[in-house]
Amino acid sequence: MTPESLRLTVNEAARVLDDVPSGERLLDTLRWRLGLKGTKEGCRTGSCGACTVLVDGKPTLACLTLTHEVDGTSVTTIEGVGSDRVGAKVRAAFQTAGALQCGYCTPGFVMALTGLLKERGRTIPLSELLEDLGGNLCRCTGYVSIVRAASMALAEAP
Amino acid sequence: MTTFDLVAPATPDEAIALLRADGSGEVLVLAGGTDLLFDLEGGRAAPRRVLSLRHLPWATLDWNGTSLTIGSTLSLRALENDPDVRARLPGLYAAVRAVGSVALRHRATLGGNLGRSAPASDLVPILLALDAEVDLVGPHGERTLSVDRFVLGSRQTALSPGELIRSVRIPEPRPSAYLWQRVRPFHDISHMAVAVAYSPAHSRWRVAVSGFPPRPLLVPEAEEALDGPVPNERAIGRAAESVARHAPIVADRRASEEYRRHIVRPLLVRAVRAAASLPEVR
Repeated sequence: MTPESLRLTVNEAARVLDDVPSGERLLDTLRWRLGLKGTKEGCRTGSCGACTVLVDGKPTLACLTLTHEVDGTSVTTIEGVGSDRVGAKVRAAFQTAGALQCGYCTPGFVMALTGLLKERGRTIPLSELLEDLGGNLCRCTGYVSIVRAASMALAEAP
Repeated sequence: MTTFDLVAPATPDEAIALLRADGSGEVLVLAGGTDLLFDLEGGRAAPRRVLSLRHLPWATLDWNGTSLTIGSTLSLRALENDPDVRARLPGLYAAVRAVGSVALRHRATLGGNLGRSAPASDLVPILLALDAEVDLVGPHGERTLSVDRFVLGSRQTALSPGELIRSVRIPEPRPSAYLWQRVRPFHDISHMAVAVAYSPAHSRWRVAVSGFPPRPLLVPEAEEALDGPVPNERAIGRAAESVARHAPIVADRRASEEYRRHIVRPLLVRAVRAAASLPEVR
């Protein structure tokens, strides 16, 4: 049985989705049903953070989330992060710090960092912020510039 | 993609009725899904029906005097963000932060971790050391079990057909600590871990170990070596020897028995010192 249609707000646009199979993950809904390819599939087992999006402002692994489980929520992906006050600052910090090599992990890092700064603001110590980014992996190992971007974004967080 | 019937009942009674109507193995319970979806994806689980707890009113956290009741569907991130948990149950705070990543903890739940009962759970050992109890609801009413009696083995619990975990209760704040050994510090599985807590009400220590099959366990022999809220160096040393000798440690694909028995000593020493607010040893 396929559950009834579901409603999501994706990057501030209301979407009604019909015929989403019960086992479909949010990652596949975003990439293949909605064409938002900015959210990346890395490990598909919740180990790499590449698929991180915000669900009601909270960083969430889209690969480990059934789409029906987030029915009624607001989802923000890398494509919509610029409309978020904190997200825009994080994106700018990644640009300024040149915090990417191949770029595959970048959307996940930007969303994870945006979520953390929205949750904790500038009260979070840098050491804890970096610890909390530990769920995102960069296979190019370009961490030095990512850490620079994170400290820049923290300094400018509201 | 696996197909199944996904249901999200609005009330606990409805959930229990649905769960009871199905034969065992046919229906799986979904809380945060961070562990279950892993099995669904790999085809290790192929349920006919998945019962989601998302509409149940169990995402709660209540301090009642000294005791803490944690609703089974509260996210681990919400638990970790409670300032009283961090201050009054430091071992629980450390154990929660040992689970996955922030994004995973925003969905993962305490009820899910207990219900799935993985042998290397980071949460079960600290719950053992805190003498936590599990509140269950089912077709025959409510009952409460200690975590020690609830967790039976690897992926095995005392849940009866139709039963759900409603909450977990921790009787009192305790000086406590949780330390682990892993390949990677973040987002990895602990291959050896130690949880310790001192109970002011019972004037006794609790010591639990985790990271190897079949399940996390208390080590009473090590508890007996410790006495008073601030044990001396000799007592801590005896407890470390005792845990290394008596804990039923085995090898698996992540670590050898010899290595685990070696590493459990410094973990125990450091955990007791941290819980007793003694300075770190270098």
